[in-house]
Amino acid sequence: MTTTPGTADLPDLDALRERGARAYAGASTLDELDDVKAELVGRRGALTAVQRLLGSLDPALRREVGARVNAVRAALAGAEAQRRAALEAERDRVVLAAEALDVTLPPRTPRRGSLHPITETMEAMVDVLAGLGFTAVTGPEVETDWFNFQAMNIPHDHPARGMHDTIYVESLVDADPPGSILLRTHTSPMQTRTMLVQPPPVYIAVPGRVFRQETADATHLPVFHQMESLAVDAGLSFADLRGTLAELCRGLFGPDARIRMRPDHYPFTEPSADVDAWVPAVGDWVELLGSGMVHPNVLRMAGYDPEQVSGFAFGMGVERVAMLRHGIDDLRLFADNDVRFLSAL
Amino acid sequence: MRVPLSWLHDHVRPDCSVEQLAETLTLGGLVVDAIRRPTAGVRGVVVSRVERVDRVPGSDKLSLVEVFDGRERHEIVCGASNFSAGDLVPAALPGATLPGPDPASPVEIGRKRLLGVVSDGMLASARELGVGDDHRGIWVLGDAPLGADLAEWLDLDDPVLDLDINPDRGYALSILGVARDVAALTGAPLRLPDAEPLPPVDTGVAVSVQDLRHCPRFSVTRVDGVTVGPSPAWLQRRLAAAGMRPISNVVDATNHAMLETGHPAHAYDLTRLAGPRIEVRHARDAERVVTLDGEERVLAATDLVIADAEGAVGLAGVMGGARTEVDERTRDVLVEVAAFEPAAVLRTARRLRLFTEASTRFEKTVPAQTVAFGAGRCAALVARLAGGRVAAATDAWPAPEQRQVIRLRPDRVRRHLGMELPDERQASLLGSIDCAVAAQPDGTLAVTPPDYRPDLRIEVDLDEEIARLHGYDKVPERVPSSGRVGGRRAEHRARRRVREALAGGGWSEIVAFPFVGPADLDALGLAADDPRRRAVALVNPLSREESLLRTTMLPGLLHALRRNVNRQATDLALFEVGAVYLRPTADEPGADGGPPWESQPPTLPAEPLMLAVAACGHFVPPRHDEAGRAVDVYDLLGAVDLARRAVGLAPLEAVATAEAPYHPGRAARLRLDGADVGVVGELHPRVVSLLDLPVRTLAGEVRLDRLTAGGVRLAAAVEPSPLPPLRFDVAVVVDADVPAAAVEAAVRAGAGTRVSACDLFDVYTGPSIGAGRKSLAYRLRLDDPQRALTEADQREAIEGVHRAVAEAVGGALRR
Repeated sequence: MTTTPGTADLPDLDALRERGARAYAGASTLDELDDVKAELVGRRGALTAVQRLLGSLDPALRREVGARVNAVRAALAGAEAQRRAALEAERDRVVLAAEALDVTLPPRTPRRGSLHPITETMEAMVDVLAGLGFTAVTGPEVETDWFNFQAMNIPHDHPARGMHDTIYVESLVDADPPGSILLRTHTSPMQTRTMLVQPPPVYIAVPGRVFRQETADATHLPVFHQMESLAVDAGLSFADLRGTLAELCRGLFGPDARIRMRPDHYPFTEPSADVDAWVPAVGDWVELLGSGMVHPNVLRMAGYDPEQVSGFAFGMGVERVAMLRHGIDDLRLFADNDVRFLSAL
Repeated sequence: MRVPLSWLHDHVRPDCSVEQLAETLTLGGLVVDAIRRPTAGVRGVVVSRVERVDRVPGSDKLSLVEVFDGRERHEIVCGASNFSAGDLVPAALPGATLPGPDPASPVEIGRKRLLGVVSDGMLASARELGVGDDHRGIWVLGDAPLGADLAEWLDLDDPVLDLDINPDRGYALSILGVARDVAALTGAPLRLPDAEPLPPVDTGVAVSVQDLRHCPRFSVTRVDGVTVGPSPAWLQRRLAAAGMRPISNVVDATNHAMLETGHPAHAYDLTRLAGPRIEVRHARDAERVVTLDGEERVLAATDLVIADAEGAVGLAGVMGGARTEVDERTRDVLVEVAAFEPAAVLRTARRLRLFTEASTRFEKTVPAQTVAFGAGRCAALVARLAGGRVAAATDAWPAPEQRQVIRLRPDRVRRHLGMELPDERQASLLGSIDCAVAAQPDGTLAVTPPDYRPDLRIEVDLDEEIARLHGYDKVPERVPSSGRVGGRRAEHRARRRVREALAGGGWSEIVAFPFVGPADLDALGLAADDPRRRAVALVNPLSREESLLRTTMLPGLLHALRRNVNRQATDLALFEVGAVYLRPTADEPGADGGPPWESQPPTLPAEPLMLAVAACGHFVPPRHDEAGRAVDVYDLLGAVDLARRAVGLAPLEAVATAEAPYHPGRAARLRLDGADVGVVGELHPRVVSLLDLPVRTLAGEVRLDRLTAGGVRLAAAVEPSPLPPLRFDVAVVVDADVPAAAVEAAVRAGAGTRVSACDLFDVYTGPSIGAGRKSLAYRLRLDDPQRALTEADQREAIEGVHRAVAEAVGGALRR
């Protein structure tokens, strides 16, 4: 015989909710929480059992009891979620704390390389001059006497040759007389080389290696680097030279750098000027470079007409600029190639 | 050039401090290197008279000298004996100071007891006073006022300007030349000494100049009846301050005249001059002359000499000879003042490494026009100091050269200097250095430079004078507009990218001297006929060990590597970008040796640009959490790969190579489009040991010029396929000596055109595949943007690989 259960036969839903909520709150691990959940809403759970009874109730009662069961289910789900969040947070806290790394250990980077301060300084110079419309070109390091001296208005027996202690190179063919080829003593030969193949205007920057027969010491190297620059155009003046040098100087030593010009002598320029730079990091005037208006003989030698065009040229020691930029006081460091020095720059 | 301020003040006295004067001169083109006060340490030294000289009992050398300082007497012990009663000497009484070795900290003189005698200070030599270097005895002062303070009397606080004179400003190697610039730069009035007219009587010495080009003017002046002795103290002090050693009144007079006028002068003892006649001629081959410094000089035909009837008596413009030297017995002297051509003097000075006060002046041009002025000043001073009489003069100047008038266009000057300088201002600036300026009807200025400025020859020479006298600091700053875009050329940009890529990849750039020696090439084990042996030699190398221009970058790079290893570095990866120097060939010529119009310009070597690498130790250094990894040949191949990627080239082709200086089984030759670009590899153990390098050091060099010839190439974009790819692995078993590159090429070719990745992930050798065989496993990825790929596509690709590896490399798929 089957009977229709009445409400009296149903468990006390309020008590079930109270008990369930307490059980959830009392679960101390996620596993315990899952056990509680199974007891309440699992296949054999207390609330599941109530739900199973619903089908046997008469419709009016079923609706009423169904609504109450749903309310209890929602309340229990909320209690479970709350406890689960707390237990998960606690678990994460413990687990992640155990995984902590010492972030002050050294970073992992690819192997460290470096660029030599001389090549970097030459590139920095080219950067400034390129911005002023100059094009970087390079020339041969083994030169002829003609390009290195004669075309630069330094004939044989010129006293200026005394200041260029030249390293000579053996003749490569029998027809060439001894002394006709040499290691260039300055980057200036590229002035003539460029003018011979190109009509004005010319705006070039010539970074490169140069040679002198000298003993290395703190202020001299037999092999060093220069940046030569030449501009030839209609109407170029001494003022253009000064402005260009001032820009270059600011580009290399910062916006507060400035220049001072002094008369000097070079066979290939007239007027000639030695240029001192006020380098803020040094806090003093330092001799920086030689410069001047291109000598008309040099223009003529290259086939230009000094009545039509004028020009200026300057040449600076790259090592000297690198020393000033990086606070180096011994030239030999550049030739020493000690990686401790190189990688610090 | 050393300029004692007091001497300069004889001719110009600008209203400024000596420091301001130095600044003005420096900015005006006469660089003042230093201001020194060489004798400023002398204090409390009194001109005293020697009263009596006694022996110190018990000593052979020491004397007890009684001196009178004008007020009281002192007893002073002295080791010298070059004086006698009545002489005036400098007495440094207790409390006095002398300059000592360091002018900044003078030495104080006290009262001393020597051999039981009390010495009231000391008597001083010239050197002890900082006046010259004579230390042979006490400085006997000729005409000094008794009791005078020596420092005050001789102006020993006088500052000396140390000038660095440029080759074109030879005039500033004289007090008068400097004084002229000081006057022009400061506006202070100039006082020039009067010319001393030479007597119109001929010396009777036959002067014959055989080379007028090298000696345009030669004058001799006879001063009769001189008495040679020491110069007065003021002159000795002045010469010493100017950097010259006082010798005797006659010689000191010639030196004083040279310093004053810039004309080197030389005094001959007339009676020792054979003939008497003088020839200015080139030396005979192997002719000899003993110069004033006592050296016997063997002459060459390029040397210009002064000769008498018996032979050379001096090197023209460089140094006189011992045979005709003036000494105490000399009565009549002949003073030579001449103009020699700079190159002639420089050649001899250089050949003999004999650079003198005279040669320094002649090499910077001494004008012929002012020879008579210099001769007159010199002869008069000799006569005044040594008590003789200027008796006669001979002046050989057969072809006087008049100064050329320079046409100056004031407009052009303004354009050239970029400065607003009115015509009148230009004229007055030039006038301030004694140029004669005349305005011409056509608006130009006719400028005749003064005789003392032989450097002013053409119009632009005057530009510099105008700018300098107006002030270089007044030149405005203007930036030219080139009207074109500057920057780096394609290959320069490519080079820069390569260097940056290498540095970013862990390589450190070095810059080595580009020299090598035969021993370096031997150490590399290069064969006798190796082209790298045909290095170009230097005529005057820095050292015998580095007598050649490098044909390979390796010696310099390996030298740098070893130096770092010697300094305890262990893990190194170095690179260098630079030229090697090769004998030119038709394919690779050198640069042009001359202008186009020269028919046979000299031949220059080719200078291809190389990228070289060298490494040892760990490439990945060990860390607390990683073992690290030693560098190997793949790291070097990787360096070259960084370079080629930086310029957008496809991967280079590597081929195993056995060649010096590499390990025969661990080196690769690299090719780009079939053209050889270089080699990298492990160095041969013998090379490693010869060069004392760490074991398994690696190196290599490639032709950077070939890699960068096309600049930085732009890659074509690859559009990613939106459809899922097919991914699968294949393993290929081949003979162990088959190059992996050939296997990969076969796998790619066999898998078809859809291959988007083919990565080698395993290389296996072992019993399961048989001896002498290896298995290479690749992970393939196929993409087709048109359709989804299927298993059928995969089977087809694998079959393709199967056929391709069988055919190309004799391989089989491992299934």
